[in-house]
Amino acid sequence: MRKINTISDLEALREELQNFRKNFDTTLVLCGGTGCQASRSRELINRVKGEVTKQGLEKKVLVRATGCHGFCEQGPIVVVEPGNIFYCHVMPDDAQEIIAETVCNGEVIERLLYTDPVTGKTIQTESEIPFYRSQDRQLLAQNRQVDPCSIEDYIAIGGYSAISKTLAGMAPEAIIEEVKTAGLRGRGGGGFPTGRKWAECLEAPGDEKYVICNADEGDPGAYMDRSVLEGNPHLVLEGMMIGAWAVAAQQGYVYVRNEYPLAVEHIRVAVQQARELGLLGENILGTSFSFDVEIARGGGAFVCGESTALMASLEGKVGEPRPKDIHTVVDGLWHKPTVLNNVETWANIPSIVLNGSKWFASKGSKNSKGTKILALTGRIKNTGLVEVPMGTSLQTVIFDVGGGPTGKSIRAVQTGGPSGGCLPIDKFYLPLEFDALAEAGSMIGSGGIVVMDEETCMVDVAKYFLAFLQDESCGKCVPCRLGIDRMLEIITDITEGLGTPEQIDLLEDLANTVSETALCALGKTAANPVLSTLRYFPDEYDAHISQKKCPAGVCQALVTYSIDPEICTGCGICKRECPHEAISGKKKQPHKIDPQLCQKCGICKSECNFEAIQVK
Amino acid sequence: MTHFKLTSILEGRRSQPHQLIEVLQDVQEHCGYIPEEAMRTISKELGVPLTEVYSVASFYKAFSLKPRGKNVITVCTGTACHVRGAKMVLNQAIGQLNVAPGEMTEDGLFSVEHVNCLGACALGPVVTENGSCHHHMNPGKLRKLIGTLGSRPTEEGSYEKNQYHQ
Amino acid sequence: MIQRVAIKIDGMIIRAPKGTSVLDAALDYGICIPHLCRVPYLSDIGACRLCIVEHVVNGRSKITTSCTLLVKEDMVILSNTEEVRKLRRNIAELIVAEAPNSRAIQDVALRCGVKEVRYPFRNSDCILCGRCVSVCTGRFGVKAIGFVGRGNERRVETPFNMRSELCRDCGACIDVCPMAVVPCGGPMKTGEERLCGNCEPKMAFAEQTPGFCVWCDLGEGFQCERYAMGLRK
Repeated sequence: MRKINTISDLEALREELQNFRKNFDTTLVLCGGTGCQASRSRELINRVKGEVTKQGLEKKVLVRATGCHGFCEQGPIVVVEPGNIFYCHVMPDDAQEIIAETVCNGEVIERLLYTDPVTGKTIQTESEIPFYRSQDRQLLAQNRQVDPCSIEDYIAIGGYSAISKTLAGMAPEAIIEEVKTAGLRGRGGGGFPTGRKWAECLEAPGDEKYVICNADEGDPGAYMDRSVLEGNPHLVLEGMMIGAWAVAAQQGYVYVRNEYPLAVEHIRVAVQQARELGLLGENILGTSFSFDVEIARGGGAFVCGESTALMASLEGKVGEPRPKDIHTVVDGLWHKPTVLNNVETWANIPSIVLNGSKWFASKGSKNSKGTKILALTGRIKNTGLVEVPMGTSLQTVIFDVGGGPTGKSIRAVQTGGPSGGCLPIDKFYLPLEFDALAEAGSMIGSGGIVVMDEETCMVDVAKYFLAFLQDESCGKCVPCRLGIDRMLEIITDITEGLGTPEQIDLLEDLANTVSETALCALGKTAANPVLSTLRYFPDEYDAHISQKKCPAGVCQALVTYSIDPEICTGCGICKRECPHEAISGKKKQPHKIDPQLCQKCGICKSECNFEAIQVK
Repeated sequence: MTHFKLTSILEGRRSQPHQLIEVLQDVQEHCGYIPEEAMRTISKELGVPLTEVYSVASFYKAFSLKPRGKNVITVCTGTACHVRGAKMVLNQAIGQLNVAPGEMTEDGLFSVEHVNCLGACALGPVVTENGSCHHHMNPGKLRKLIGTLGSRPTEEGSYEKNQYHQ
Repeated sequence: MIQRVAIKIDGMIIRAPKGTSVLDAALDYGICIPHLCRVPYLSDIGACRLCIVEHVVNGRSKITTSCTLLVKEDMVILSNTEEVRKLRRNIAELIVAEAPNSRAIQDVALRCGVKEVRYPFRNSDCILCGRCVSVCTGRFGVKAIGFVGRGNERRVETPFNMRSELCRDCGACIDVCPMAVVPCGGPMKTGEERLCGNCEPKMAFAEQTPGFCVWCDLGEGFQCERYAMGLRK
């Protein structure tokens, strides 16, 4: 590929690419994100491509393997354009039929269409599906338009025009002003105003400065950064380039989780392609701006999501945070001024430059502007990635986009991962934004939303996060290392029926101490899951302590397994599968579980076809 | 690990202490763990004190200091998987193979590990076996999976495969 | 010439050289701020969190460690408020519950006002204060020992738990270890979670004046900053 030396070179290439795209009658968009790959989409993509070649349709049909579309539950997903026809749960064997029927004959294949679980009706086009309809997909929608491994695709849809606009005549101060007016706040969880961070870095003394993209998305239950980096890596790169120009940095780093192999691969390819085209390197687009990006793989440590720990890790050291009495914008990577933003924050930059700060600020709430990507998971009908304007209520996200509960009724939502908290259903009117959720004792965090129903035990959720944090704490400071350890000790006692009412006071006192005195954000927020569950679900703690019961039937020490004789058909599957020989019974007669032998492993429950196994 | 591979991993990274984690990542990928000898060599070649190499290798979850079994069963214990019963799935693996998480069975056939999130949250609980991803798991399904793997002859280096199936 | 800045600690105006930490400035003036992971003249890691103070900025106070906070003109610090004392006590309680038999740790706990311990005792050999690692790397530049593992599994070790080739047998790590001070013979058993109180008479005056250094005998062996600096002559 030829090098792009000037802005007009870039525009010429764009026109050429756009004209080339017009030659195709049909575009098949196939999702190749991590979720869909787990459902065999790679095989499907190969079969579709093979089929197109076999039918001699290469010049008419464009097959595009894209990043995540967000509706992972329904994967693998195929969208046929024009027509916006949406097929879900497509198997490799369906490839031939799609080409023969839909592409050649223009027929819609009824059985591959999406069925709305709420109404039970099938829906033909993507835009009509309630899951998509209630969203405002500014960033995610671009995932469908590009093959993440193709810089040509990105340029064809207008990519790299924000950096060319920047370099053509926007001073660093002007860019920073634009980002400030837009009201963009850090999407990684902290919510710090991005423009202010950049301004402080620009003012910091020193010639050598760095920009870093934090893609060490360690929150369990969150994967929006993965999807953006994996599905549209050039967008993130372009954002970083603009940021580098604004703070006068020459070098950037992308610190990406190694548990995301596709994201690592795609960002590597993207950097390589950008270098080949001359969009990274010396004198970009014929200007004095020089910038390059290196990829570093994370070592699997949640604490490395914290900025100082991440920088230590980039320097090849143990990922321990250090006190931030001097900010990283002044004393960051290798003690140089450094701007660190997360993937989603960087991805928002190009559109702010192109469409203006007013456009960006027109979305969202008073103090939280723009859209936010959320990872909606747990016990609801539609799980996947969701993008809504900031300030949208939890209610809308969970019931309109998420389609409501799967069976049992919803009672709580956990937002913000291990740093966030659990909110009960009567708080669902709260808007999803930085300040409102923080006031209620939770946080928007990086955007993980886990919906919980009656089968989720809140004490167990608090225990889960404490165990997670105990594992992930670096162990440097006392409140975090010992405080979490002791909180977990107490909560474990409670879940095992050994808790006392006094322990609740101790737990609260300790939780407050940890959040006040821990060194870094991991420790300071570690108590949130405990404090929020204590605040909103005191009855549940009480049930564990005074009645020695787990109302949700989760805490193993407090539950017993039994078989409902009314439902049991005596099929004998549970008896055969039980590894502990705890189940007895005659064929076609209700079976019984011997509580002495039962190890509560749960195999019988997962094997029973009639839901006759009760856990109480 | 052959000496040759370590040499090629170190190529272009010598005397650059900040490359330590990247080098360890590559060693982990090639050997499945970080051998002691490799750490000593890396310490000399990158110019990082051995104590620091050892600290880093033991700090990050990506690195294993002990050899791993031929079949690596990794249970995702992210929040979304947890609320859908990942703990029962992990307990099943631990109970069935009689091995603690992060350890290898005596016959060297299996290792059981857990990971904090694979980012396939909509499909949980998720289990990967030698890089293959299995979604919507439960204790019963895992028991069968382990049963199949235990009776199957495995090839060297199978963890490098990256296939997905249901 | 050394530039000095004026800061206010607990209402008292103190002049300290630019670049010193609030902890050093306070100790210099006899204001007692308990501390543990600090090793004099070495860079601070802010790990034990005992030396927390309230830093008042624009009327809002923030809890932060005084060892990592550098003095700045017109800075306002509160080292001895009820909130600080409570938090400090809670942290000291966590530490002493790990190592109730260490005299040095007991002394620190008492100084921080710990009377009873609400957690089951664990008799750990190491409380991970990191003083030995600081000395080994910071004072001697040797790096024979270091932190290994993370979170609950963090420990101080030589590589592969074998004698390090770099160790010069200087013994500095033992000198600064709070666990190496003669162990207390007090009855510290699991189930009897209280400090024996046999040393309490010594502490009585310290308790009445928690904010001031009274040249208490606390942990002379593990080097309170003031002794180490040789201020008492």
